[in-house]
Formats: sequence, structure tokens, C-alpha cells
Amino acid sequence: MALSVPVAVLAPLAIGAPILGACLLLTVGRRVPRRLVDGTAVAVAALVLALDVLLLVRSAGDPAGHLATWIGGWGPGSPALGIALVADPFAAGAAVIAAALTVAALVYTWHYLDSAEAHFHALLLLFLAGMTGFVLSGDLFDMFVFFELMGAVAYALTGFRVEEPTSVQGALAFGVVNSFGAYVTLTGIGVLYAQTGQLGLAPLAVALQGRPPGAVVVGGFVLVVTGFCVKAALVPFHFWLDDAHAVAPTPVCVLFSGIMVELGLYGVFRVTTVVFGPVLPHADLQRTFLVLGTLTALLGAVLCFLQRHLKRLLAYSTIAHVGLFTIAFGTLDPAGTAGAALYVAGHAATKSALFLVAGSILDRYGSVDEIDLHGAGRRARVLPWLMLLGGFALAGLPPFGSGLGKAVSEEAVAEAGAPWAPALFVLVSAVTGAAVLRAACRIYFGLGSRPDKDTAPLDTKGSEEAEVKGLLKRVPATMLGPLVVLLAGGLVLGVLPGVPQAFAEAADHFLDRAGYLASAFGTAAAPAAPSPASGWTTSGVVLGLVSSALAALLALAALYRDRLPGPSAVGRRIGDAVVARLRGLHSGHIGDYITWLLVGVALLGALVGLPLLAG
Amino acid sequence: MTRRVRLIVFAAAAAAVGVLLVVTVVGMPPFGNAFHPYRDVAVAAAIAHQTANVVSGVNYDLRAFDTLGEETILLGSVVGAAVLLRPGREERERTEVPEDEPPLQAVRLVGYLLLPVTLVLGLDVVAHGHLTPGGGFQGGVVLGTGLHLLYLAGGFRALERLRAVPPFEVGEAVGTAAFVAVGIAGLAVTGSFLANVLPLGTFGSMPSSGIVPLLNVAVGMEVASGVILLLAHFLDQALRVERR
Repeated sequence: MALSVPVAVLAPLAIGAPILGACLLLTVGRRVPRRLVDGTAVAVAALVLALDVLLLVRSAGDPAGHLATWIGGWGPGSPALGIALVADPFAAGAAVIAAALTVAALVYTWHYLDSAEAHFHALLLLFLAGMTGFVLSGDLFDMFVFFELMGAVAYALTGFRVEEPTSVQGALAFGVVNSFGAYVTLTGIGVLYAQTGQLGLAPLAVALQGRPPGAVVVGGFVLVVTGFCVKAALVPFHFWLDDAHAVAPTPVCVLFSGIMVELGLYGVFRVTTVVFGPVLPHADLQRTFLVLGTLTALLGAVLCFLQRHLKRLLAYSTIAHVGLFTIAFGTLDPAGTAGAALYVAGHAATKSALFLVAGSILDRYGSVDEIDLHGAGRRARVLPWLMLLGGFALAGLPPFGSGLGKAVSEEAVAEAGAPWAPALFVLVSAVTGAAVLRAACRIYFGLGSRPDKDTAPLDTKGSEEAEVKGLLKRVPATMLGPLVVLLAGGLVLGVLPGVPQAFAEAADHFLDRAGYLASAFGTAAAPAAPSPASGWTTSGVVLGLVSSALAALLALAALYRDRLPGPSAVGRRIGDAVVARLRGLHSGHIGDYITWLLVGVALLGALVGLPLLAG
Repeated sequence: MTRRVRLIVFAAAAAAVGVLLVVTVVGMPPFGNAFHPYRDVAVAAAIAHQTANVVSGVNYDLRAFDTLGEETILLGSVVGAAVLLRPGREERERTEVPEDEPPLQAVRLVGYLLLPVTLVLGLDVVAHGHLTPGGGFQGGVVLGTGLHLLYLAGGFRALERLRAVPPFEVGEAVGTAAFVAVGIAGLAVTGSFLANVLPLGTFGSMPSSGIVPLLNVAVGMEVASGVILLLAHFLDQALRVERR
């Protein structure tokens, strides 16, 4: 019965319901008990989750894989008058992740001290509405509107703890850099509209196809994806991310790292496959994504390992993983796309759980600095093991979903023409996993020699204020529950037998441009030819074990560095200089960040445009 | 980066982006040409729905979903501002605000004279959004800022006496919820979110263009309340909140 509900009902309600929920909380929130506010918010998010799951089931079960509905019945037509919502398994799946993480974040918030008269809950629901609208939208300008909704709410959520100047500073950097990116995107939308008179993704794709890849197409592509690249925190658009993650409340970090950043990639690859894919040469696009992804993965991994501030450490690990996702999505082929999507889903579960661990450490011990907290958690029973598990999952340990995603991705990228990719995937996931393992060993097991407290530069330290009144005596079930469920979800994803097949089919639909256009225009299309699914292979399991072992070794090496033979004086000096230079780039100065953003736009333009000029 | 390095890097990157923008813009269709595929169909569609102000027809009918998103951005921004401007732990709100110096007689006279005129104008712009230039957003801003003539003419106390915050918090939420509710009504009646459910009326007359005036009122309510709340939060932060 529920399965027969049409997409014309499901999709708008999935966006409208959280808006209505937020309005309800804003109206009565300050007059009702706190528990009722918590309960209402969780119920609304759970309702959205149910709608999204139905959408996912419906779109995955549809032979064409895409379900479209035109708002108000204004379409299709040429040119289209209105706005289409299009659900394919990727869009619906991303919406499912967003709603599930919102539920987890809201349950975790149960014990959160100050909700600012339910404003916090209302903002989280509006954030969910923004994310859902962004993924379901089949219209470039409408995507921009919901992108801005995500942004406006996210800036306020970042600065939520107004007592701390760093909090407002982080929110400001985030707001300025993201808004600037959004304006660049808007400029690109204007360029494309002036050229074609279309805003819908499908009509735009039809209007552009067959054109030579001239300056307007290149300019339109570069400008449109810039805002999405900023949200995805690709190097050099990434500078806002660690500042924002360091100060944002824990439940907000869960949503940022778990899904919002990845939605930036969703935007990039949705417009690439539907609108620009047939116009711009694939080889140039693939090279562009490979370069950006590799830079992002390496820089993120290095800076992750250098951090002792747990939330910044996890933030840089997100950057590193986004780099890997970009490389895999950037193959623009079914295997890489399926692997990347699996990796994103597995990472969402793992990284969210780790942020919840960091939040509970903050509320239990009053800091997120792994050096200051050396041995502070020796008496903890459950969390140490969960954090270690999370670290290994991040490193790609089989059978975690993140490990499966990594295995499928690295194989696909290697086959797509970058044989060195598995080495990069192993290295980057091992380094980020090692950083988490090292922190867990220090905080919970008191391992390693206690380094001199004040040798580290100020920006890596983790002095934050707890998010509850007084420190917790024990971690409550509402904090532990979501954490366990998320980690278990990450495990199930890697174990459930049908998962690789489902993601392979979803990737086929995502790349099936003809199917997307046919569903938007209401015509029939031949279902895309299915690609073979790839799950756990021997080499995938072996590489996952290798990166996990490497992570453990790196963590131990970092813990007992003083007992290892040191590098030569020259090597050490070069290393220190490089590290100092890299750190210096992340200055917190908004002028620097905007400068790098422009460098990024120029880089994108060069990577896509110059080969066309030469060719 | 030092200031010098930043400037050099910025200049180089900006030059490259400038080149990209120039070649992009040069390739665009010339200004003032006749190629306007969307206009050609949108004007016809708006007139078919008896909407005299075609811009409103686009904003509240053809692409009403965008407007819902934009209205929600405003809601999120106002709630966000309320969160960021709330008194922190080291701050507290004074109950009494010191009386400021009385404004000039001329300002008082003009302020009190224009207050009702401005409010009526705002209502007019909202109510005729489907007929003449204007609409919920524009009229809402006129209403929200117009009320603050009271602040100029009578000071903060006069403003506070007439402008309690809670009703506007309700107005803001109800205005946004009403937009969604109209959308759901369309879903229930026609099977399509935000589809028209009202009689279209006659072109150019007050009751015309279906749900467009209704959505204009919803947005006008939300925008007016939002602007008033935004200014209230900033005024509170400036005049009422002090360090402990």
C-alpha cells in the first residue's frame, strides 16, 4: 500500500515536512517542555527518513531507475515552465543518509545543554529540508536555492556556541567562503541561462548537447561547480572546513562531515553527468577530478595526522576521504561511481560515529586534545573499543562498509587508468585511521610517552568547552545509542550480500543520462545496460587488511616516536619546514581563503579549458 | 601568507579568473536580442492563469517551489540571527532600557505622519502582488521597515510598546507553514504539489490568478515578521544586552 504512493507525493513532502516541523517548533517550542521539543524533532526527522526510504525503494525498483515529478504540473515542455524533482537511487539514498544522520544527531542532542528555545532543533530540521531539496531537485537554480538554504542554516549552527570567539570566527570563515562560492555558482547559472534560456537540468542538457565545447560551456561548467567544490572541501577550496568543524556542536559536525560535504560532490557529479558529460571531453574531466582528488587526499591525510585536536583531526580526515571519493567518482564509469557511493555511505556511518565519540570525550573530560587527555579515559569500558573499531573502519578494515567502498573504488580507479591508485587509497586511509587509533590509545589506554604539552603549535590544540552543564559522570544512552547504531550500520553495509549489486545498479542509473532525460520529459527509455557488480575480492580484502595493519603500525610509531631512530638532521629540518608551511597556509585569515578559492577557480579553468585550446 | 604574498597570489589568480570570465561573457548572446525562450512561454502561461503581473506568475505559480525555498532561507537566516545574537553566558538582558534623547520635532511629526501611510502602502503592495509590480517579498519589507518609523519618531520604548516579539515569531512560522499548506492542498486536490486549487477569476481584477495572491499574503506575513524580528534582535543586542 505504502509502496504505491507516487513520487509526486513523496518528494515534495520529504522537503515540506521538515519545514512544517521547524515552523511548529518555532511557534510552540518555548512554551512546551524540552522533552516534547526533542521528541517532536526526532519524530519529524524519522517521518522524513521513512519518506526517503520509500523513495529509494520506489526508484530502485523502477526499471528506468528515475522518477520525476513536475511541481504544480508545470512541465515537461520546451522550454520547461516549472521545476522538476527527480529521484534516482543516488538522490534518494543521499536523502536517506541525511535523514538518518539527522535522527542520530537529534537523539544525541537529547542531553545537549542549551537548545536556545528550540531554535537549535528548528535549524536542524531546516538543514534537513535544504539537503533533501538539494538532492531531489532536477533544476539548476532550484539546486542553488536549496544549496543556499543549507548554507544559511549551517553558518548559524556552526556559530551556535556564541560564548566562544573562535566559534563565531569559524562560522564567519565558513559563511564568507561558502557564500563566495555560491555567488560564483550563481554567475555560472546566469551564463548557462543566457545561453540556453533553460534552468532545468534535463532541458539544459538537451539545449547544450551537440554544441562544440566552447568558452561559454567551459566557463559555465567551471563557475557552476565552484560552489559545489567549496562545499565538498576540495583542495584548494577546503580552508573553511576544519575551522567550522572545530567549533561546531558535535551533532552538527555529524551532519557536516557525514553528508553535507559529500553533497557538494553530489552536485558536481550530477551536473557533470547530466548536463556537461556529452559536451566536454571525458578525458579532460577525468584528469581534472584525478588531480583535484589526489591533491585533496594527500593534503587532508598529512594535516589529519599532524592534529592533536580531535575534531580538527576528524575534519581533515573528511577532507582526505573526500579526495578519495572524488578520484573514484571522477572515473565517470559505473564501477568507480558504485565504489565511491559505497565509500560515501560507509564513511558517513564511521565518521559520524567517530564525531560522536569526540563529542562524548569533550563532555566527559572537558577537552578534545589527545595530549592533554593522555590516559584520562583509562577507566572507560565501552567507548575505547568503539573508538578503536571506528579507527580501523576508517582505515578500511574488512568487513566494514567503508572498507568495501575503498576496495571497490581502488580497483575501479586502477582499471580506469591509474594503476598507482590502490597505493594512494591504502596510504591515505591508513594515515587517517592511524591518527584516530593514536588518539584512542593515548586518551583511553594511556599508551605512548607523554610528549611535552606545549611543543605543539597553538592551532592544533584542542581546548574546547564542554557542551553540557558540568562534565558528565557517565556517557548516557542517548549519546551511546546513536554511536553504536551508526557503527553497526557501517558494518552491515559491508556484510549484507545484496549491497554491491544494489550500488552497481544505482551507479548505472546515476550515469544513465538518457534515462534521466526520459523520466524528466515523461518519455519511455530503454533501461541502461547493467554493469557487473563488484564486491569483496581477495585483493580488496588483502589491501584492506594491509591498510589496517599499516594504520596500527603508524599509530604505534607515532606513540613511541622517541624510541625510534630519528631521521637525519637535514631530513628533520626539511620535514619541519614543509609542515610549518602547510600549517601556515591554514591561517584562519579569510583573505587567504578567498585568494585560494580564486586559485582553485583558475586551476579548474586551466584543467578543463587548456586541453581544449591545445586540441 | 604575508600581505604581500597574498596580494601577489590574489592578483595572479584574479587575472586568470578574469580571462575566464571575459571569454565566457564574450561568447554569450548579445545584450537586447530577441532570443528569450522562457519569456515566450512564461508570459503566455501567466496570462492563461489570469495573472496580470507576469513576474508574480513566475515566482508564485510557475516556479513557486523556488520561492518556497527562498522564503525558507529567510526563515533560517532570521532564526540563525536570533541564535547568534542571543545573550551569551557573560551577558545579560537589562529589563529597563535607558530613555534616549527625544528626537527632533520634525522627525517626530514626519515619522508619525508617515507610519500609517507606509503600513498601508506595504499592505497594498502585498495585496496587489498578482496585479501590479510588487508582491509578498517587497510589501513585507515595506511593512517590516515601515514599523520602525516608530523607533525613529518615538524611540525604543514607543517601539517596544507596540511591537512585542512573540506574535511576530508566530507570524513568521505561520507564514512559512501556510506556503507549504497551500502546496499540500494542491497535492490533495490535483495530485501535484503547489498546483492551483482556486478559481482563476478574471484577468486584472482583485480576485484572480488562483493561489498567487494567497501565496503573496503568506510570504508578506513571513517577510514582514522576519524583518521585524531581525531588527528586534539587533536592537536588543545593541541597547539591552550588556556584559555581566
